[in-house]
Amino acid sequence: MIAKKILLSFPQKSAGQPMAMELIKTYHLDFNILKAFIDDNIKGTLLIEIKGEEADIEAGIVYLREHQIGVRDIQSVVEVDENKCVSCGACTAVCAVGALEMTVDWSLVHHDDKCLECMLCVKACPMRAIHALI
Amino acid sequence: MAKTYQEINEKIARGEAVVVTAEEVIGIVKERGVQEAAEYVDVVTTATFGPMCSSGAFLNFGHSDPPIRMGEITINGVEAYGGLAAVDTYLGATQPSADRGIEYGGAHVISDLIAGKEVHLVAKSQGTDCYPRKELDTWVKLEDLNEAYLFNPRNVYQNYNAAINGSSKRIYTYMGILQPNMGNITYSTAGELSPLLNDPLLKTIGMGTRIFFGGAQGHVSWMGTQFNSACPRDDKGYPQTPGATLALIGNMKEMDPKYIRGAVYEGYGTSMFVGVGIPIPILNEEIMSFVAVENKDLYTNVIDYSVPKKAKPNLKKVSYAELRSGSVDINGKSIKTSPLSSLKMAREIAEELNNWIKKGEFFLQEPIQSFPMGNTIKGLEIKEGESR
Repeated sequence: MIAKKILLSFPQKSAGQPMAMELIKTYHLDFNILKAFIDDNIKGTLLIEIKGEEADIEAGIVYLREHQIGVRDIQSVVEVDENKCVSCGACTAVCAVGALEMTVDWSLVHHDDKCLECMLCVKACPMRAIHALI
Repeated sequence: MAKTYQEINEKIARGEAVVVTAEEVIGIVKERGVQEAAEYVDVVTTATFGPMCSSGAFLNFGHSDPPIRMGEITINGVEAYGGLAAVDTYLGATQPSADRGIEYGGAHVISDLIAGKEVHLVAKSQGTDCYPRKELDTWVKLEDLNEAYLFNPRNVYQNYNAAINGSSKRIYTYMGILQPNMGNITYSTAGELSPLLNDPLLKTIGMGTRIFFGGAQGHVSWMGTQFNSACPRDDKGYPQTPGATLALIGNMKEMDPKYIRGAVYEGYGTSMFVGVGIPIPILNEEIMSFVAVENKDLYTNVIDYSVPKKAKPNLKKVSYAELRSGSVDINGKSIKTSPLSSLKMAREIAEELNNWIKKGEFFLQEPIQSFPMGNTIKGLEIKEGESR
């Protein structure tokens, strides 16, 4: 049994499909919705943690992709754009869990597995180098 | 044995100058002692890369046909000053845009221009006999402009406060986001690599000093605004509070967008990260002993930014070594510390300046005038009455 965090993106035409039921019934996966967002065009993103046997998770992901649902393996919903980041450290001031911290040579490092998705770093970054995926 | 600027420049020309960074020199002085190190090392490079709000650019657009005396001017929606001659303007780094607010301001326009991007220039005028055009709407690049130079009235602060928030609400400041109940401390310095902390009494840095400025060779043009050389100092002369500042000038056409970047401080405004490197000539042992300073001997104060007054409470005197350690103890509580200026980029700039000098591309300029020590700063009194 393993657990995995994935970010799903639904195009408009995929809305209304019994995705959740399929994952549970056919692929025996447990899942936990961490965050959900649907825009005015009924495009949606869903951050879920799925638990199950590795083979089942893989099969479930194949099923989702066959139904035009974007699947992306992620650890954290924030991404640091390396080209924009100058390693100033302003984001580390608000990261209470140490997901963003300075290395010994004063570069910024992002331990995405520690991220609790408070999103405060997105606001704190003066370079606007930190993007929220949802 | 004392050296002169000329002797050091001759060594640079011959490719024989010994150039090290202000971090590297610490070990050299420890190993060889001040006297021997002063003979061995010719130039020490210092640098900083951090937010410097008091920055901006003078631009000259050239004349259109028919010509206009630009009154109201915007560049990519950011207002620029229309009170100079016909096609001259000053674009301030912190000016927000009309459409995107602080997310895109003067500093972003400056950075975009340096990156070679085309920007949208709109100007209006009442029209005069000699400047009949009333409106102008066009696109320009940096290379299209006659002159474009940064003139930053206050950069490279000699020491700055560390910030904390003693209130029960999160606050948004130019010192970053400060968490309630003394949740964190922020500080902004290159510490032992910082230009003005390595020359605390401004023995070598003055008007005319040639510098690394945004990737170009620029100059110190004047003392910076709020120049507080009379600040409290330790017995060696290092400032204990914000001290001297510098006004800098440099050609935007020779700059690199890597070293001049637009920045946004949430809930506060637009600012600009400016990369500055200043070479310090090791003329004598006194100057060598100044540049050998370490973070453990440089101090600042932790100031409570939640108090909405000019005089804010000072909670603790701390060394930069303590701030760099990751936490500071205040009233028995360990509080996380975070930097706001990039030491990584500052090191890169010190190294780059070092390379320029070693390659004989950059020569030292002796100041044509020293800055006054003992200069104090005044506040602004609010006076009542409609006329006086």
